[in-house]
Amino acid sequence: MLRIALSSTWQHRRRLFGTILAVVLGTGFLVGTLVLSDTMRASFRSVFTDVNAGLDVIVRGENLTAGGSGPAQRALVDASLVEEIGQVDGVAAVAPEVEALAQVVGADGEAIGGNGPPTLGVNWVDDPDLAAYALTEGRSPQAAGEVAIDVDTAETGELEVGDTTTVRTPAPTEVEIVGLLAAKGGGSAGVTITAFTLEQAQSLLLGSDDQVSRILVASDGASEQDLADRVAGILPERTEAVTGTAYTEELLDDLGRDFLDFFEAFLLVFAAIALLVATFSIYNTFSITVAQRLRESALMRALGASRRQVLVSVLVEALLTGLVAAVVGLGVGIVLAFGLLQLLGGFGLPVDNATIAIGTRAVVSAVAVGVGVTVLASLLPAWRASRVAPLAALRDVAVDSSDQSRIRLALGLVLVAVGGMFITFALLSEDGALVRAGIGAVGVALGVFLLGPVTARPLTSLVAGPVQRLRGVTGALARRNAVRNPRRTASTSSALMVGVGIVTLFTVVAGSIRATIDDAVEGSFGADLMIQAGGFSGAGLSPDLVDEVAALPEVERAVGLGLGRGLVDGEPSVFSVVDPAALVEVLDLELVEGSLELSDTGIAVSQSQQEEGIGLGDTVELALADGTVLDLEVEAVFVSQAADAVGTLLVPIETYRPYAVQFSYVSTMVDLADGIPLDAGQAAVETVTRVNGDPDVLDRDAFADRAVGDVDQLLAIVYGLLALAIVIALMGITNTLSLSVHERTREIGLLRALGQTRSQLRAMVRWESVIVALFGTATGLVLGTFLGWVFVRAIAIDQGFGVFGAPIGQLALVVALGALVGVVAALRPARRAARLDVLTAIATE
Amino acid sequence: MPAMDTPHHDPAAPRARGDNLPDAASPASPPAPPVPPPAAPPVDPLKVYGRGDTAVRALDGLSADIPAQRFTAIMGPSGSGKSTLMHCLAGLEPLTSGEAWIGEVALGDLNDQQLTILRRDRIGFVFQAYNLLPTLTAHENITLPLALVGDDPDPAWYDTVVEVVGLADRLDHRPSELSGGQQQRVAVARALVSRPDVIFADEPTGNLDSRSGAEVLGFLRRAVDDFGQTVVMVTHDPIAAGYADEVLFLADGRLVDRLADPDAEKVLDRMKHLEA
Repeated sequence: MLRIALSSTWQHRRRLFGTILAVVLGTGFLVGTLVLSDTMRASFRSVFTDVNAGLDVIVRGENLTAGGSGPAQRALVDASLVEEIGQVDGVAAVAPEVEALAQVVGADGEAIGGNGPPTLGVNWVDDPDLAAYALTEGRSPQAAGEVAIDVDTAETGELEVGDTTTVRTPAPTEVEIVGLLAAKGGGSAGVTITAFTLEQAQSLLLGSDDQVSRILVASDGASEQDLADRVAGILPERTEAVTGTAYTEELLDDLGRDFLDFFEAFLLVFAAIALLVATFSIYNTFSITVAQRLRESALMRALGASRRQVLVSVLVEALLTGLVAAVVGLGVGIVLAFGLLQLLGGFGLPVDNATIAIGTRAVVSAVAVGVGVTVLASLLPAWRASRVAPLAALRDVAVDSSDQSRIRLALGLVLVAVGGMFITFALLSEDGALVRAGIGAVGVALGVFLLGPVTARPLTSLVAGPVQRLRGVTGALARRNAVRNPRRTASTSSALMVGVGIVTLFTVVAGSIRATIDDAVEGSFGADLMIQAGGFSGAGLSPDLVDEVAALPEVERAVGLGLGRGLVDGEPSVFSVVDPAALVEVLDLELVEGSLELSDTGIAVSQSQQEEGIGLGDTVELALADGTVLDLEVEAVFVSQAADAVGTLLVPIETYRPYAVQFSYVSTMVDLADGIPLDAGQAAVETVTRVNGDPDVLDRDAFADRAVGDVDQLLAIVYGLLALAIVIALMGITNTLSLSVHERTREIGLLRALGQTRSQLRAMVRWESVIVALFGTATGLVLGTFLGWVFVRAIAIDQGFGVFGAPIGQLALVVALGALVGVVAALRPARRAARLDVLTAIATE
Repeated sequence: MPAMDTPHHDPAAPRARGDNLPDAASPASPPAPPVPPPAAPPVDPLKVYGRGDTAVRALDGLSADIPAQRFTAIMGPSGSGKSTLMHCLAGLEPLTSGEAWIGEVALGDLNDQQLTILRRDRIGFVFQAYNLLPTLTAHENITLPLALVGDDPDPAWYDTVVEVVGLADRLDHRPSELSGGQQQRVAVARALVSRPDVIFADEPTGNLDSRSGAEVLGFLRRAVDDFGQTVVMVTHDPIAAGYADEVLFLADGRLVDRLADPDAEKVLDRMKHLEA
């Protein structure tokens, strides 16, 4: 029996090609993602381990916000501790370290880096074991105004030893480059490093002469842990000592949490979507091949094979197919990861000399998922094959079993109804809408999938109506072929339905985000211009810049908006730091109660904070990184809409700034003086910003475009990743069509004998494909739009904001794409059909 | 009247195209009836299947012409080349050498596209089985060849055809809802409705019981008698051959005999004679 299964698999290998390809692409994506992130983890680990090789103990402030989200908030350490630690038994070397943000401006005036990896400003550490970098050219900085920068930054900025340039800390500082340095362990991972003398680093970056960020300690042979314990013994409160190993792990964890885990999860979602679509494809292929072999199965049953044997023979075929596909997918994934690594290496990630890390995780998941998906998808067809009556071998088995299962119909209706109920409740409820809507969405989507065979006939006819009118008998034949087996049509198109549904969902949600942003900008962009610091992790706007802009004759006032971190009533929080009195001049906060003329201990909150229990007159405890605890009173409450622009909690800058290290603004709102045209005002402001690291000066439209641009960029990436799912769906249609063409060989022969030209025949296959594709596209489009609407509404209920906006143009493009998928999917089957020899086709049994 | 625009063609006459094929009228072939003119005279056709030593000649220098507006049956044992002859005459299969004509059209000069259009416009087919498209109704199947051109059938002629084959109340049915005999009648109607130059029938009664078979043969007979059609039928059934005006007997790819005004008994008699 096994031998029969094996030989049958071999004979059907051409038909299984499409299945294998679908699984290969899905698992390839999966493996590629896993190998890529494993390799990146491994290479970051090696970089950090190398960098921290000579480091045995770190002394630093305790993490104030431990347990919360966001980066750790640590107090500075007294520089005087350096000497005390030097006296501790077992310490071989000790060095203070300053670390903050500093961005180098290149020879062309463009700031370097700041698009992800941090732009670090540090002090030069003399001890070569403790330093994270080594000099490669020139000398170390000896005096104020001298810096060493890393070689990659120098190359990017076309800077050389001896050049003078500007470093934003964030205030522009003139420096001379006296040396080049390279991070230990090779690649700088896109991190830019500027090393000052200790004194200048302290005053520029920390604003303090007697404090440092942390203290680095090397052991004279004692174990890290022993030394850390001993050092900890002499430390003051709120200061801690950790081992170099623990520190390295911590850095890796942070990197994982902030970047790699998200990156991996993001890609895995799309691998899962691709595999889901592949499952539909495989299910369909096996359904058809099993149906085509029904007589064969019946013959085997008639000859004495048991149901189980028939079932097993199909499953063996699936197992083999899945295994082959998984192994190929593994190879494809590794190649894919390698290619991507080369690409990422180009972005400065430390992968130049990384060896590909193929973990057991990647191998096991490739095989498990590849085989699992294939076998799972073939279970139902296999079961169906095993139910065939032995007598069917003697009868002419009708392949077309268009009677729909009542169970399937009932289940589909129930799921749609229950899902619809969940969604209705979600949209009527006060909170928790998103979870309910999510459950409802899954129900509706599954129900629509189950109802596919029922809806296929009427919907396909609807879609095909114009085709028939347009293309006469060719269109009519295509339409009839598309609806002749509704179950097949439904399951073929369901792969595309899932793909298009998800594309639509993202498109609609992105469109709604865009609408929401437009709405928010409308309400929050009170000023004439906005100065915005570029990049994710680059330095912010220097307070000096704001003062300089404010001093321009063309400018009425400039108000900086900064972010602060700390514990608000024990909760790690991010809050806005502004001058409230100046803020109200550029932005209508729509006060609900209280006054924005805040006292020294006053803060303002939005209504949403009030709903959380912080209301007018309440006292809030604000704990800052350096250990300061402030008791502040809520003196004003403003409407929630304003929170789009300024956040939900406002702390006056005078209150926060004394405790902040390297304070900078995120953005600055600028009101122009009366009678100054926008472009003249913008030009004036730019004369100041250009010499201050050149942050963007945006008017209202540009600001909205910028915000929307980020959404569009993300959407483009999502589209790119979803393309794989669409390609798999396309191959599913190709595969089904090929099998259908094969099945209808005689019919095609007859049509050709009766005078159907080759081009008519090709058109017939093509239009059938387009009809099936459009059916899937239409279902996916309606489902995706509906669910997108539901989610946007649910978010609006939960978060209190969100405007629904379906981008009609983009959705029309999706439909065009669906039709194109149909055309492309039909290329191969149509060509094959047209090549059929008329006589052979007629004579085929 | 079916289109017989330039009905006369003399295979022996010199051709303007000046081809260098062997003399068309092989002396071995029996003389063709002078009137009516030939519908499909293949000249010295030769078809070789396979390669090398195993080569089997399906048609071996056969030369025959078939008169228009007559019902001609082609008979012969399996492998005698009767199906190949019909396929060559219908433009479904090219001759390895030689020529096949329909009226004034030499099939060898046509490419696939032209052959397709020729089949669509000038030839009707009735096959043994799988004659109809399962997705189309009887009416749609009948009008399919016209629909492929984008033409509507001549309503009067369509009604006549449908009435003759007795399908008036079955037109909205799909093939799966029709009996085998009804399906073959639809096929005959389809072959008639476009008024082709010639109808080829390949074992049209092979899958039918004798009553249904007789009906179908009766329709083919009427097509010739009442509508002036030309019908060429391949069969191995002497009773079916008895409906024809003339029977051509093939053996080993050669035309070995012809029988005018046959009936089943005469045909059977001649077959016995040939096999002996």
